[in-house]
Amino acid sequence: MNIIIDSLIKKYNNKVVLDIPQMEFQEGQLWGILGPNGSGKTTLVRIIAGILDSCSGNVLYQGHEYNDSIKKTMTLVFQRPYLIRSTVFENIAYPLRLRGVSEQEISTRVDDLIESFNIQSIQEQKAWTLSGGEAQKVALARALVFKPRILILDEPTSNIDPESIMQLEERILDYYRKEKPTILMVTHNIQQAKRLCNRIAFMNEGRIIDSGNPSDIFGSGVIPKIKEFIRKGLI
Amino acid sequence: MDNFASGFRDAFHIIVSLDPEFFEIVRLSMVVSLTATFLAAVVAIPFGTWLGIKEFPGKRILVRIIYTLMSMPPVVIGLVLFLLFLRNGPLGDFRLNFTATAMIIAQFVLVTPIITGVVFNGTKDRGPDIQDLARTMGASPSQTVWLLIRELRINILSAVVTGYGRAMSEVGAVMVVGGNIKGHTRIMTTTIAMLRNMGEYSLAIATGIVLLLISFLINSLLYHWQQER
Repeated sequence: MNIIIDSLIKKYNNKVVLDIPQMEFQEGQLWGILGPNGSGKTTLVRIIAGILDSCSGNVLYQGHEYNDSIKKTMTLVFQRPYLIRSTVFENIAYPLRLRGVSEQEISTRVDDLIESFNIQSIQEQKAWTLSGGEAQKVALARALVFKPRILILDEPTSNIDPESIMQLEERILDYYRKEKPTILMVTHNIQQAKRLCNRIAFMNEGRIIDSGNPSDIFGSGVIPKIKEFIRKGLI
Repeated sequence: MDNFASGFRDAFHIIVSLDPEFFEIVRLSMVVSLTATFLAAVVAIPFGTWLGIKEFPGKRILVRIIYTLMSMPPVVIGLVLFLLFLRNGPLGDFRLNFTATAMIIAQFVLVTPIITGVVFNGTKDRGPDIQDLARTMGASPSQTVWLLIRELRINILSAVVTGYGRAMSEVGAVMVVGGNIKGHTRIMTTTIAMLRNMGEYSLAIATGIVLLLISFLINSLLYHWQQER
């Protein structure tokens, strides 16, 4: 499912925090959305995910405006995920219960994910007892369980240990290779973006200042502004 | 100290003797407080939750008004209702003064802002995150409301327990609108106030002990229910 942005503007207290005249996130691409703090990355993905309203402009999903059926095929994994007050199993099963999936199907799909995330030992553990890395794995598993066509990840590996980062990256890539969804991943980590993403959108002060293949964005033709951010270590 | 010692003795005696007059007072106290708390919860839980997740002009003022009403002196509530319920007052036709219904209304007015305020406080911190989760998981509006209630259940229960405690211990408002009429509007707190005026201190202490026991039992049940979930 592709995402087309047209004349999107978001303001807070009359200050423009997002201004994107035109942008297309093509179907089946894994996009890295990079930029320094306050560049509008999270605002952009929250608008795309339908949990924040824009002031003007449109976001079209395969030519359609945001609606209930789009909502059911898209999800966002937050930087600090909210897990429901229940077990790990129930957290992962939650989107399937919302969709009225049968108990048998829930059990099969959740068990498969628990195995692939290697979290069998914590499946009956209560969500509030999990470490940051475990919680993020559960949040990603919960997002993948209903096989979204658009997967949005808002800094999913910040503040977690290196081993968990590696496992999460593997699961994201596995899902991407298997299902070919459109993935938008907000990250501060340029190396991570190079490792995972086949497209980059670089943001600064609410605008996308460059987009394309990672080799174009960060290669010999890197634009001065991005070069400056890299040199200063701002991303 | 003699009053306390004899109070404990009298409390034990009252409980084991199954005094019908006393048990009628206990029954009415519980009926009035539980009904008022239930009705207040029906109004305040959705209202407090809504207030916690919605942004709208004038919200800050509304929240301040609710906080002010949370600490409104019960006797003032009683007085206002008493004046409204007077025969020549705006609600005089309903003939509510000196009835159990008036006492329920008084406790409802007292408890509703308390439950609203506590629910609001719990919802404003976690409500938006829960709402965002529900939306990103594809939940419908009714599924979102259900998730909010489920996730905030401990806070909601605490709000109801706080409200019930306030209703059960209240004396000023129910005394004004109920009048402490024997066999009709006499409840435990008004009985304690009356016994104190009569100088029957040990009986007043005894009634207080029974009131505390009932509160302890109900709170224990609610606490147990909360822990299980």
